[in-house]
Amino acid sequence: MSTGWMSQTAQPRAPQPQAGEDARTRTMRPIVTGTSVLGIKFDGGVAIAADTLGSYGSLARFREISRMCKVGNQTVVGGGGDVADFHMIRDLLNTLEIENREYEDEHDIKPQAVHTYLTRVLYNRRSQMNPLWNTVLVAGMQDGEPYLGYTDKLGVAYQESTLACGYGAYIALGPLLREVADKGEPITKDAAVALLQKCLKVLWYRDARSLNRFEIATVTAEGVDISAPQSSESDWGIASMVRGYE
Amino acid sequence: MSSTDKTVLASAGFHGDVLTLVKRIGVRMQNYEYQHRKPMSTPACAQMLATMLYGKRFFPYYTYNILAGLDADGKGCVFSYDPVGSYEREHYRAAGTASALLQPFLDNQARALARIPDYIGRKNQQGVVFEPISKERAMTIIKDVFTSAAERDIYTGDAVDIRIVTKDGLEEHRFPLRCD
Amino acid sequence: MSIMEYNGSAVVAMTGKECVAIAADRRLGAQAQTVSTDFQKVFQMGPKLFVGLPGLGTDAITVSQRLKFRLNMYTLREERDIEPKTMINLVSSFLYERRFGPYFVEPVVAGLDSKNQPYVASTDLIGCPMETSDFVVGGTSSEQLYGMCESLYKPDMAPDDLFETISQALMNAVDRDCLAGWGAIVHIIEKDKITTRELKARMD
Repeated sequence: MSTGWMSQTAQPRAPQPQAGEDARTRTMRPIVTGTSVLGIKFDGGVAIAADTLGSYGSLARFREISRMCKVGNQTVVGGGGDVADFHMIRDLLNTLEIENREYEDEHDIKPQAVHTYLTRVLYNRRSQMNPLWNTVLVAGMQDGEPYLGYTDKLGVAYQESTLACGYGAYIALGPLLREVADKGEPITKDAAVALLQKCLKVLWYRDARSLNRFEIATVTAEGVDISAPQSSESDWGIASMVRGYE
Repeated sequence: MSSTDKTVLASAGFHGDVLTLVKRIGVRMQNYEYQHRKPMSTPACAQMLATMLYGKRFFPYYTYNILAGLDADGKGCVFSYDPVGSYEREHYRAAGTASALLQPFLDNQARALARIPDYIGRKNQQGVVFEPISKERAMTIIKDVFTSAAERDIYTGDAVDIRIVTKDGLEEHRFPLRCD
Repeated sequence: MSIMEYNGSAVVAMTGKECVAIAADRRLGAQAQTVSTDFQKVFQMGPKLFVGLPGLGTDAITVSQRLKFRLNMYTLREERDIEPKTMINLVSSFLYERRFGPYFVEPVVAGLDSKNQPYVASTDLIGCPMETSDFVVGGTSSEQLYGMCESLYKPDMAPDDLFETISQALMNAVDRDCLAGWGAIVHIIEKDKITTRELKARMD
């Protein structure tokens, strides 16, 4: 008998799983991560914003990663959490769009459909004890009305006029976004974009996993517009006035 | 909370499970209507919910459910559940994080229907005349219990949704609570 | 199972207009098994002062006796009755002495002060005090009691109103707690009299 690669002779082996045991372990920890995504509805549309940083722990590893993707002609999706998992979500949504296009029936995927689809994907993955480690905002125009939805790694989902995930939910959502939304009157597109930029700047000052380079996407009746990555000026002159951390 | 025009489901607990459960119930109620050419009755829906919850006995939906509506005689009915589908028809029930705060108050105040034996409703009160509870009285009790819940239970939110099922259809109200 | 829930108990105190009430259930159990239905959890500590000791039964007895001892020493030294406010401080410091091996009780203090103003307060098992103007609760039924009190209570009740309110709060609360109930006792403290009533309650 040969002693080649098909040898059946006894060799030392690593402990093998017993019958019925599952030796696989699942990803329960994000590796390369994106931080906050912010979203706000405005008069005639909706805008979302996210910076372009992919952090590797505390290391600012990838400085120009897009955490947004367009789905159909009236939806944009932005994601925080594990970047690799977000890329998988992006690929799923691409597949969804391509399959829809094959019908050639002029039907376009609507944001609510994308939102529901993502919620189901994320919920099913958490039910398999193998979650996609993301918090996702879905923005778009649903039958002429602005649509803004939230989904997380557990499959929890809801809609709101302002949304944020990550540190944005603590820092930007309350004092900045809600202050505008609760005034009652809808704000203009320019005001919404300016507000998001202001929120991103506050996050850049306070969230150590953020970057002052970001994308802002707007969806209106005219369609989706994802801006090219842009940088904001920052002024650390105020840093010396913050006491207690020096 | 989700509803047809004569059956209302209130679900507390893990919101992801709530969304999934509500979706599955919706699908099965639609299919029932297509197959039987009539909407599903509340007691039928109640039995269905029990089997659906028990179907996930070993990986349960983390939800606390109350199903309410009208039965075949047009009488109001409330069905309450545990997360794995044990259920019971009752006259009143509190569920969720504030259930321990609210249930004893309902025991004390929710006046049961006249013909119902005195071991339910208006507990520990003497000389009570048992009479049907009016819609206004029910609303008052519900607002009161949620006001109390918002005082002491941090998980009780800023407003309460109230839905009323009568033979004439469904009414919806939203009542604000303390916003902190 | 938590040692605070081993015997089962419910104590509640409420303020009224120039009166104050304290009530407790009477059960002593060993987990689900009821052992006694006339167990004392409320102790008189002065002419117009009561302390309720929900929690572990054996500690309730010990604590009541040690508190009484400290109270006697205080009264001897000061030659006057203790104020309820002082009593809660006495209870608090007494419990904190056992910070890392506590007595498993959550004392509830109720009384009228020297100006006959109602006073209620409670502490946790290591003596963190909490003073309120309306009601305090303690024991295994505390969630139920909070729900009842929060909806039934109104300020400045007359003694008979206060009695009905605290009784209803306690009885309906313990009826939804397997570990408490089996009779109840209510003390109404007014400036010139104390009324003690034993309630006829569900015995199951």
